[in-house]
Amino acid sequence: MQTKQHSILLSLALLAALILSACTAAAPAAAPTAVPQATAAPTSSVKIGLVTDVGRVNDRSFNQSAWEGVVQAATALGLQEGDGYKYIETQDSKDYADNIQQFIDADFNVIVTVGFALGEATIAAAKANPEIYFIGVDQFQGETLPNLTGLVFYEDRSGFLAGALAAQLSKTGTIASVLGTDLVPPVVAFGQGFELGAKYINPNIQVISTYHPGEISQAFTDPEWGAATAKQALDQGADVIFGAGGITGNGALQEVATAPGAGTDVFCIGVDTDQWETLPAAHPCLVSSAMKLITPAVVELINTYSADSKMTAGNYFGGAGLAPFHDFDAKIPQEVKDKLKEIATALESGSLATGYGQ
Amino acid sequence: MNRSALRRTGQLLLVPILAVCSALLVGAAIMWLFGDNPVAAYYGLWEGAFGSPRAWSTTIRKMTPLMLTGLSVAIAFKAGLFNIGASGQFIMGTVCSVAVGVNFAGLPSVVHLPLALLAGVAGGLFWGAIPGLLKVFTGAHEVIVTIMLNYIASLFAAWTVYAGGTQGQTPGPLWDSTAGAISRTPEVFVSARLPWIVAEPYRVHWGVVIALLVALLSWWIIFKTTLGFSLRTVGTNAKAARYAGMHVHGITILTMMVAGGLAGLAGAIETLGLNHRFAPEFTGGVGFDGITVALLGQTHPLGVILSAFLLGALDAGSARMQFSSGVSVDIIQVIQALVLAFVAAPMIIRQLYRIRKPSDQAESTLFSSRWGRS
Repeated sequence: MQTKQHSILLSLALLAALILSACTAAAPAAAPTAVPQATAAPTSSVKIGLVTDVGRVNDRSFNQSAWEGVVQAATALGLQEGDGYKYIETQDSKDYADNIQQFIDADFNVIVTVGFALGEATIAAAKANPEIYFIGVDQFQGETLPNLTGLVFYEDRSGFLAGALAAQLSKTGTIASVLGTDLVPPVVAFGQGFELGAKYINPNIQVISTYHPGEISQAFTDPEWGAATAKQALDQGADVIFGAGGITGNGALQEVATAPGAGTDVFCIGVDTDQWETLPAAHPCLVSSAMKLITPAVVELINTYSADSKMTAGNYFGGAGLAPFHDFDAKIPQEVKDKLKEIATALESGSLATGYGQ
Repeated sequence: MNRSALRRTGQLLLVPILAVCSALLVGAAIMWLFGDNPVAAYYGLWEGAFGSPRAWSTTIRKMTPLMLTGLSVAIAFKAGLFNIGASGQFIMGTVCSVAVGVNFAGLPSVVHLPLALLAGVAGGLFWGAIPGLLKVFTGAHEVIVTIMLNYIASLFAAWTVYAGGTQGQTPGPLWDSTAGAISRTPEVFVSARLPWIVAEPYRVHWGVVIALLVALLSWWIIFKTTLGFSLRTVGTNAKAARYAGMHVHGITILTMMVAGGLAGLAGAIETLGLNHRFAPEFTGGVGFDGITVALLGQTHPLGVILSAFLLGALDAGSARMQFSSGVSVDIIQVIQALVLAFVAAPMIIRQLYRIRKPSDQAESTLFSSRWGRS
C-alpha cells in the first residue's frame, strides 16, 4: 500500500507541474498575438502559406530563398506573419500532402511548396482545390493546371556559365564538380551545364564530375563526402571546383577554402544562391555562384496574383545566372568578364544552346 | 477475464502507459524551456490526431504500416532476435509489390492484387531469411546483418527506379519512362490497388483491416499454437529449448522470415493502398519506428496495435501542432525517443513511480539475451 500511495502522489505532483508550467507559459505567448490582431488593417484577403522540403526554413538554400520571397511579397501587402503568411517545415517526405492540407483547411489562398520532391503532392492538392493558387518551386509541369505555377530555372545555363568561368580560370586544365545525387534532375542540369560550358571554352579540358552515390535523403546532407571528394579532385590536379548539392556541396567548398593556395591557385564556385552571402566559410576561394533567383521569382508570382488575382498557369522560368564576384572582382581579368557577358547574352537570346538534354 | 488475468494485464500496461505520460511531461518541459507553449502544442497535436474526420483518417493511415513493422520487430523479439532490418524488408516488399503492380496489365483485380501483396510479402521474407540463415550457419549476428541489408535494400530500390541521368547510363528496370529525368516507377495498375474504405479526401484503404487481421493472427500463432510456444521458448532460453527437442535453428530462420514477410507486407500495403508507386524518397522511417512500436507494445501483438495507434496519432497530429502552435515537429521525435528510452529501460519508470517488478518474470522477453553469444 505504501508504494501505491507514493506513486499516486508522485503522479499528482507531476501533473501539477505540467499544469503550472502550462499556465506560466501560456501568459506571455498570448500577449504578442493579441497586439497585431488589434492593429492589423484588413488590407488584403491574401493568405500565403509555404511548405518546405525536408529541412529547415533557414537552410541558406532553397527553402530560405523561397521563404524570403514570401516574406517580401507579404510585407509589401501589409500581411502579418502567423495570420497572413506562415510556413510549415516538413520533416518526413511522407508528410507533404498533410502539410499542404493544413493551409487548405485554414483557408490560405496562396500555397508555395518548395522543392522537386513535393511535385506530386502539389499537383494533387491543386487539382482538388481549383480556387487556391499553388506555386511549386523547382517543379516542372508536364501538364498545365490553371491554378499551379511550376517555378523552374534553366540550371543548365547557370551551370554553363559556371563552367565557362572555371575553364577560363583553370591553369592545370583540370576542373571538377562535386554534385548531389543524379536522382534529382536540376542537379544533373547543373552538372551537365558545367561540363558543357567548360568544354565550350576549352574542348580539351578535363572535367571530373562526381555525383553523390547515396539515396536522396543523404545526398544533400553529407558534407564529409563533399569535402573528401573535393580533396580527391584537388589531388588529381583540379584547380576550380564547383560544389552543387546543398550541404554536401558546401562541404566541398569549405574543403577548397582551407586548401593551400585557396584564392590564388585554387578556386571554388557555389550554387543556387549567392553563397558569398550564405557561406562565409567559403570566402577564401569562392569566385562566384551558379544561381537560380528563387526569391524575386516568388515575389513576382505572388504580386501578379494579388494585383490582378491572376494565376500563372504552366511553367514560369525564373532568372538564372552567375552571382557577383565580390572580393574577387578585381582579380578576374576583364576579358573573362566580357566572355561571360557575351555567353550570357547569347544564351538569353537563344543564339547559343547549352546542349543539355540533347 | 478473471482477477489475476486482469491484474497481469494491468501490470503489463503500467510501464508503457507511464512511459508515454512521462515522455509527454518531459516533452512539455522541453517546450516550456524553449519558450513554447506546451498546452497549445498538445492541443494542436490532439486536434490533428482526433479533432476531425480527416484527423482520424490520418491517424489510421499512419498507424497501418507501423502495426506491421511493429509486429515484425515484436515477433523477432519473442524468439530472442533483434530485427533492425524492418526498414530494408519494408523497402524490398515495396519494390516487389510495385514490380508486380506495374506489370501484368489486364489481369483481373482478384488475381492481380493478391499477387502483388504476395510479392511484397515474398520480397520481405527473402530479405528476412538472409540474416536468419547467416545467423544459423555462420553465427553472424542478426543486428549487424540487418543493418547492412537496410543499406543494400534502399540503394537497390533507388537503382530499380534510376532515371539514368543524362549521361547515357541504363535506366533502372522499374523506371517510369514518361517521367523524364525523374527517378520513380509508374503508377501500379488499378487492378493491383487496394480499394479505399473511405475515398478522397480521407484516403483510408483496406490495408488497415489487413494489418489488424494479421495482428490478431500473430497473437493466435504466438500464444495458441505449438509453433508459437516453441518460438517463445527459443526466445526465453534457447538452450532449454534445444534440450526439450525443439529445432532452434529452424525456428530462428522461420522467425526471421516471418518478421521480414510482415515488414514486406507493410511496404506492399503502403504502396498498393496509398502511394501507388515507388520513388526513392519514400523510404522513410516506418521500419525503424517499428522498434519503438514493438517495445512500447511490450512485444505483444495486441500491445503493438495500441502502440501503433499511439505513434500513428503522434505522427498524424504533428503537422497540425506545428501549424497552430508554431512548435517544431522535432519535438515529436524527441517524445518518441523518450518513450523508447523509458520502455527500453523500464527500471527508470519503476524507480520513478515505485512500481514493483511483475511477479511472473518467466514470460517476459529478454531483449538482449543473445548479444555477444550464439
